[in-house]
Amino acid sequence: MLRFGLRMEQVERGAFISSSMGGSCLRRHWCEHLVKSERLNGGRRLGFVRSCRPLASWKLSASPTSNRRGVHATRRLSSDSNESGALTPRAVNYAQWYLDVIAAAQLADTSPVKGTLVIRPLGWAIWESMRDELDRRIRRTGAQNVSFPLLIPQSFLSREAEHVQGFAKECAVVTHHRLRAVPDGAPGALEPDPSARLEEPLVVRPTSETIVWHMFGKWIQSYRDLPLMVNQWCNVVRWELRTRPFLRTLEFYWQEGHTAHATAAEANAKAREMLEVYRSFLAEWLAIPAIIGTKTASERFAGAEETFTIEAMMQNGWALQSGTSHFLGQNFARAFGVDYQGAESGARELVWATSWGVSTRLIGALIMIHSDDNGLVLPPSVAPIQVVIVPILPKDPTEKAEVLQRCQQMQEGLERAGVRVHNDRRENLRPGAKYFEWERRGVPLRIEVGIRDLQNQAMVLVNRRTRSKESLPLASNWTESIIARLEEFQAGLLRAAEAFLQQHTHRVNTYDELKSLIGANLHAAATEQDSSADEQRVAGFYLAPWHDNAENEAFIKQDCKMTIRCYPLDGQEEAQGKKCFYSGLPATHMALFARSY
Amino acid sequence: MDAAVSTELDGLSLGANATRERGGQTAEQTETQGQVVKRASSGESKKRVERETKEGIDCRKLENFSSWYQQVVIKADLIELYDISGCYIFRPWSFAIWEKIVEFFDAEIKKLGVQNAYFPLFVSERRLRTEQEHLEGFAAEVAWVTKSGSSELDEPIAIRPTSETIIYPAMSKWIRSHRDLPLKLNQWSNVVRWEFKHPTPFIRSREFLWQEGHTAYADRSEADHEVLQILELYRRVYEELLAVPVIKGTKSDRERFAGGLYTTTVEAFVPANGRAVQGATSHSLGQNFARMFGIYYEGKDSGEKLMPWQNSWGCTTRTIGVAVMVHGDDRGLVLPPRVAPLQVVIIPIITKSASADVISACEAICSCLQRANLRVKFDDRSEKTPGWKFNEWELRGVPLRIEVGPRDVQAGTATIARRDTMEKWSIRVPNHSISEEEDAFAQEIHQTLVRIQTNLFERASAERNARIRCVSDWGTFMQAIVQRCMALTPWCNLNECEERVRQQSVQDSLAYRERLATETDPSATDAVLSGAVKTLCMPFASELERLGLTNAAEWEAPAPEKQCFACNGPARRWALWGRSY
Repeated sequence: MLRFGLRMEQVERGAFISSSMGGSCLRRHWCEHLVKSERLNGGRRLGFVRSCRPLASWKLSASPTSNRRGVHATRRLSSDSNESGALTPRAVNYAQWYLDVIAAAQLADTSPVKGTLVIRPLGWAIWESMRDELDRRIRRTGAQNVSFPLLIPQSFLSREAEHVQGFAKECAVVTHHRLRAVPDGAPGALEPDPSARLEEPLVVRPTSETIVWHMFGKWIQSYRDLPLMVNQWCNVVRWELRTRPFLRTLEFYWQEGHTAHATAAEANAKAREMLEVYRSFLAEWLAIPAIIGTKTASERFAGAEETFTIEAMMQNGWALQSGTSHFLGQNFARAFGVDYQGAESGARELVWATSWGVSTRLIGALIMIHSDDNGLVLPPSVAPIQVVIVPILPKDPTEKAEVLQRCQQMQEGLERAGVRVHNDRRENLRPGAKYFEWERRGVPLRIEVGIRDLQNQAMVLVNRRTRSKESLPLASNWTESIIARLEEFQAGLLRAAEAFLQQHTHRVNTYDELKSLIGANLHAAATEQDSSADEQRVAGFYLAPWHDNAENEAFIKQDCKMTIRCYPLDGQEEAQGKKCFYSGLPATHMALFARSY
Repeated sequence: MDAAVSTELDGLSLGANATRERGGQTAEQTETQGQVVKRASSGESKKRVERETKEGIDCRKLENFSSWYQQVVIKADLIELYDISGCYIFRPWSFAIWEKIVEFFDAEIKKLGVQNAYFPLFVSERRLRTEQEHLEGFAAEVAWVTKSGSSELDEPIAIRPTSETIIYPAMSKWIRSHRDLPLKLNQWSNVVRWEFKHPTPFIRSREFLWQEGHTAYADRSEADHEVLQILELYRRVYEELLAVPVIKGTKSDRERFAGGLYTTTVEAFVPANGRAVQGATSHSLGQNFARMFGIYYEGKDSGEKLMPWQNSWGCTTRTIGVAVMVHGDDRGLVLPPRVAPLQVVIIPIITKSASADVISACEAICSCLQRANLRVKFDDRSEKTPGWKFNEWELRGVPLRIEVGPRDVQAGTATIARRDTMEKWSIRVPNHSISEEEDAFAQEIHQTLVRIQTNLFERASAERNARIRCVSDWGTFMQAIVQRCMALTPWCNLNECEERVRQQSVQDSLAYRERLATETDPSATDAVLSGAVKTLCMPFASELERLGLTNAAEWEAPAPEKQCFACNGPARRWALWGRSY
């Protein structure tokens, strides 16, 4: 599924480096790319005249925001801003565009506790349709759903040494079950009541390996109890300081699978199987092409022997780790004393483990990959509404009744065909306002029905992605045509994302080459304190022969802000006989470098 | 294998009193030591189950209910105990039941136009205090996060005990105009309440899973209508899915949701220990919360600022516990087919000579039932004896068992055993090349499952109905209570009166216990409950009619000459009283 074939070599790198505009060449290239695609799609030109918003860190605020259209004091997500105003174009401020898309589509809202997120009905409906499909796919692998508690005794976490190191700092810790008035304090001031201190502090689960393995110890006795495969859909908490809706929040929702196996080979195969489940789910269901591979030691999950990852490319060329599957070896089995009686030997042997998860972060990936300057674009597979019917109501009451009646019939026809359809009968909005609203909410297809269309036995069909219009005859098989359009929409999204991934994946053989490709970017990053400024410049993926070395990896991370996203599973043989692009030593891997969220 | 208990091989001729343990002479069975079981079959008064392995339940439901319950939820693999008191692990067997409930309820509320959303786990201390009256209801015994890693937070934050104070500030942002109404939101989530009462799996735990619905209407009558629509769905969850009869009604002032206008409830009853359980509640919040959280909308005509009418409603994993308590028996769990993770289990009775035939016959039955969308499992484990498997699946409450032995294969039959009644009978197995036969067979199995579902509900209803006493004076009231019944009384509907009943009932129970101790058997005193009696609900008129207690009109408005059973004041409502979880 990786398309690192010859076509990669045909990418015109010149576009990146030939500009005479110095620091802004990458941005310009990207703008051109967008304009070109907009033109191709028959869309509007981008407004280059807009000035950049002053950049400050994304700020969550408890008070109603004062953000108004045209006044961009801080980047923020708020239901108050941008519901009716224009979205910030990607070329102007990618980070703000992302927040604008979320606000305009009413996917999520801020919440009083800093860093947490309210997922609004449209956002949650998207998650539900992802969850339903992925849940089916996970069950097919033999895992059963369970529910483990939210709270974990702090001592559990310390049982696996690496694990606690990785997570201890970002755990929310429950210490008391009651507050009291501060003695001699200001009226209304409260503090934890010392008499309500818990005997042992409890952490809110950042992930559940420790409870799961504590229990696996009870449930696993003999080889007959293996493999044991459980999965849960739940909320987890990791104390993050720099948060961003869906991509990184204090609390997030996910699925976490945990399995126990008799042999290392079986566990390793399971970790790879789940990675493939994620990859195919992303491609087939979310229209997201991604690169799968293994993490370097420094990027591994705390406590894992091997971390498999699925890396997707956002529209600014940054990588988003979209799911991980870990081969945990016997680390957790050892820490929690989970062994089983072997089939032949009868001797006690330690169990082999995996864990794997994807989260609501996928909603962020969905937005960042498919959406455009007009708002959300959803693949039909996850769109809560796949088709919206907008009646264009004539003044004449008889004609109006006829239009409404036909729209009703069309709605019923599509429902019978299994299409998720909404008939927007609101009379207080003009059709244009409705188009605008449904575009922002990412409904894939819009049907416009006016009296003249009916007289012609036709309807106007508008594609959200290409924004192209066609007149579709209201023939006997019209619902089939709609379904075909939806399928084509889904396929088209995937094709576009695949092309983008290919275009922005480059091969480099020397460090100089990498630096010259990203040079302008680097320069800008050095002069601007705000890291979000360089989100603006298309980064891309860089594939290089690499000699595995943690120190060099750390240096490159500091020097270029790029990390090794993974050693792609496909194409590792290419490293043979090549020299590391950085150290010149014999290459051990092909490594994929990128900026990442 | 104990020869004395493995007398039957083919399963076709089991009489009512025959030992049920059957088994073969396969090598695995002698190796793995099927446990020794001597039990009576159905129809007989239940004899004590004797099991010598740790898998079985070693006490009786009616003799030691709480120990029985603990054993059932653990040994049937519903729950695993955990190191934090009051937190439990839902194993696949119980989580699958919850998923069935979720699936049903979620689809039904979506039909009503409710949208799911997800609100944060954490609530700031300031928000939690926004509403004093509401807070007192929870006495602020919640889990407080005071640290991230090792560093102290500026201000403690709480893990949600419920989400009103998280959701309503958001609602106040989202509701602007009458066009934004009705707003109907629901979330499926976990909540934490730091309870100190004795924890009971499913029934009372510190963390539980639930749905909480929060809706806002412009029109009061629409809001009132929804309260009842949701309550009806809760009734269906209990009665149609879990086969547990419930009584719908209104909570007394003392028992209603703090800060709300009125609370409606479905009340279930556990005959085995005489305790009622609040099944689920649907609250009308009136405009109190709108005022508190500043939720206003612009009216349709006048354009003035108006407050919406709000409801909230919730149903928890408690549902599972109630079903376990009501239907379970001395052998273990009895699951209603509609929520059972497995509806049918197929067990081969294998002998050396005919194992291949038996296995292929089982597989054919299994795939036939799978095609009919039944949840079926072919238990082909070779290391367990059939008897061991019977016990295990009975303990886990699978509604229907199909046994296939060599003689069955020859005769083209199989044996069916019902978990609810323990009846067994022989059934013709379809020829798998004839699809009509297969359809008829699947249909028959399906019909049997429907009969089991109905029987469970009717049985539980009859047991429950026998434990409702209509009383009108204190003496008979206490008599009903000590006999672990619910009492239906004419009542004045006054807060002070309920408070006095609570206190008096505790005193009288203690006095009764002492009298028992001195006059009769001291050991009998353990069986007397001493907790306070409270109102469970004031049943709807339609419910009293459904119960067949009297005609609805009279029950709705007791005649003025009727007096409150406790304070002798004028009776205003009929109230259902009992001890409750």
